[in-house]
Amino acid sequence: MRRWVLLLAAMMAWNIAGYALWRAPRVDAVVPPAEAPRPERIVSMAPNLTEILYALGLGENVVAVTSDSDYPPQAAGKPSVGSFWLPDIEAVIAGRPDLIVTLEIPQQTNLVVRLRRMGYRCLGVSIWTVDEFFRAVETIGQATGQPVQAQSLVSGIRQDIRRLTETRAGKDQPRVLWVVQREPLRVAGRNTFINELIELAGGQNAIGPTLHKYPPIGAEQVIGANVEVIVEPAMTGGDLVEQRRQALAYWSHLPRIPAVANGRIYVIDPDAVSRLSPRLCQGIESIAACLWPADSGG
Amino acid sequence: MNSLLSPRMLLTRTIAAVVLLVAVMVLCSLVGTQTVSLRAALAGPGSPTAPNPDYEILLHVRIPRILLAAIVGAALAGAGAVFQAVLRNPLADPYILGVSSGAGLGAMLAVVSGVNWTLWGRSPIAVFAFLGALGTVWLVWTIGRITGKFHVTGLLLAGVVVNACFSAIIMFLTSVARSQDVYATVFWLMGNMAEEDPFVLWASGGCVAAGLVGLFFISAPLNVISFGQTDAQSMGIHVERVQFITLAISSFITAVAVSLSGLIGFAGLIVPHAVRLVFGPDHRQLLPLSSVMGAVFLVVADTIARRVVAPAQLPVGVITAMIGGPFFLILLMRYNRRVYWLS
Repeated sequence: MRRWVLLLAAMMAWNIAGYALWRAPRVDAVVPPAEAPRPERIVSMAPNLTEILYALGLGENVVAVTSDSDYPPQAAGKPSVGSFWLPDIEAVIAGRPDLIVTLEIPQQTNLVVRLRRMGYRCLGVSIWTVDEFFRAVETIGQATGQPVQAQSLVSGIRQDIRRLTETRAGKDQPRVLWVVQREPLRVAGRNTFINELIELAGGQNAIGPTLHKYPPIGAEQVIGANVEVIVEPAMTGGDLVEQRRQALAYWSHLPRIPAVANGRIYVIDPDAVSRLSPRLCQGIESIAACLWPADSGG
Repeated sequence: MNSLLSPRMLLTRTIAAVVLLVAVMVLCSLVGTQTVSLRAALAGPGSPTAPNPDYEILLHVRIPRILLAAIVGAALAGAGAVFQAVLRNPLADPYILGVSSGAGLGAMLAVVSGVNWTLWGRSPIAVFAFLGALGTVWLVWTIGRITGKFHVTGLLLAGVVVNACFSAIIMFLTSVARSQDVYATVFWLMGNMAEEDPFVLWASGGCVAAGLVGLFFISAPLNVISFGQTDAQSMGIHVERVQFITLAISSFITAVAVSLSGLIGFAGLIVPHAVRLVFGPDHRQLLPLSSVMGAVFLVVADTIARRVVAPAQLPVGVITAMIGGPFFLILLMRYNRRVYWLS
C-alpha cells in the first residue's frame, strides 16, 4: 500500500513542479512588437493565398508556398512546405519567415498555435465566400503594407463581376447541376462558393438547400431537380475530351433529364473554379460559357 | 529461452533497452525534411530579427515531437502488454475495451458542439477524447461486471459491442456535421503527431511513467493470472481487484496517449508480442521492455512518417502498420521456428 501512496505523491509532485516550471507566468515573456514592420519574407499556406500575394505585387517576398501552389507559374518554383492540409512545419521555419499567411481551417489553426508558441507572426484569413475573399485580400493588404494595391485589386474584380452580370440581366436562369464526383454522385450545394459563382454567371443551382455543403444525391433527386445544364470540373491534369466522353457515357443512363436530352453536359478546366482567387472572374466566365454557349461564340 | 529471470538480468536488459532508446532518439533528432546542422543549432536562438532556424527546428519541433512519440509509444506498448495478460487474449490491444471509439466520439462531440477553449494548452478535442476514452472503459467495465464474476468474455464482448455502437454514432455525426470540421476529426482519428507545449509533454510523460511503474508493481500477480483465473484465485490472489487496478491504470495511460496523438494503431498490439517472442512471457520483464521498445518503435515510425514523402507528411499510423506488420511477421516466423527459409 505504501508504495502506491508514494507513487501517487511522486506523480503529483512531478506535475506541480512542471506547472511551476512551464506554466507559471514569466516576467521575461517575449512581447511581440506592437507595430509590426512590413514583412520581407512571407510563407503562403494555400494556393489561393499565393495567388493573392502575387496579385498584390509581393511575389518577390514569398519565400515558400504549399505544394499545390501552381499559379502564377513562377510560384511553383518556390520551396514547398507540403500540402495545405498536412503542412511541414520544419520547412515553414526553414524559410525564416516574418509573416505566415494561413487559412482558418482546422488543420492550419493547429499549425498557427504551434508557430505562435515559437514567436512567429501568423495571419489567418477565412475564404469560404466571395465576400470573405474580398475581405481576405484587404486584410492581407493591410498586414503586408500594400493596402492601396489591395483596394485596387478588389475594386477591379468587383467591376469585372458587375460587367459580367450586367450582360445577363433579365435572362432566364438555367438550372445547373455542379458535379463534384460521379460515383457516388456528389454535387455542389447551396452553401458553397461554387453556388455563388453559378449565380454570378447567371444560372441557378438545381439542387435546393441541403444539409451538406457538397451533398451526395441519388438519381431521384437529379430527375426531380429538372437539370438543364450539367457542369463537371475536370480532374486536374486530365484530358478534357476524354473526360467529357466519360461524362456523356455516365449520364446516358438518365436520358430524359433536359441537360442530357439536349447534350448540355460540359467538362471544364478546374483551374479557376477550384479555389477563390484573384482569377475569380475567369471562373465565372468559364461557367457562363457553359450556360450561354451562343454568347461566347462556342 | 529464459525459465528464470534474475533481477540482475532484468536490470541489464532494461538498461540496454533504455540506452538503445536514447541512441535512437538522438539519431532521429538529426533526421527531418530540413537539413539541420548541430553546430549551427548550438549557436543559440539568434536575435528576434534574425532567428536561427536550425536551433528553432531542433529545439522546438524535432525534440518535442520525438519526446511525444516516445511517451505515446511507451504508453501504448505497456498498456497493450497488460491488456493481453488480463484479458488472456493475444488479439487484445489497448483500444479493445472501447478506448478508441470513446476517444473518437469525445473528439467528434468537441468538434460538433463547437466549444472553443484550451485547458493547460490542450485543445477541446484532446480533453474530450481523454474523457470519452475513460468514460467508455468505465461503461464497458460496468457492463462486463454485471455479466459474471470472472468476466473476461463478457468484458471483451461488451468492449466489441460498445466499440461498434460508438463507431456507428461517429459515422452518424460525420454525416450530419459541417464538412470541414469533420475533416479535422478524421485526420485526428488517423493518428497525428505534432510537437506539443513543454508542460503537456512534462505532465503526460509523468503520468505515463507513474502508470507504468504502477503496472510493474502488479506484474507478479499478472503472471499468475495469465495462466488462468481459477488457479490464481486458489493461490490467494484477489483476481478481480488486480484486474480492476490493471485495467484502470492501463486505460488511463492509453487515454493520455490518445489525447496526445489520436489513434495510432498497431504499436500496442505488436510490440508486446514481439518482446514476448524474443524475451519470454514474464511480465516483470515484458512490461518494462515493451514500454521502452514501444517508445523506440514509435520514434522510428514517426521519423519515417516525417521524412519519407517530404515535404508532405504522413500520418504515423500508416507507417506503424506498413513497417510494423511485416517486421512482426518476420519475428513470428523466426522465433516459432516452424518456417525454414528457402526450403
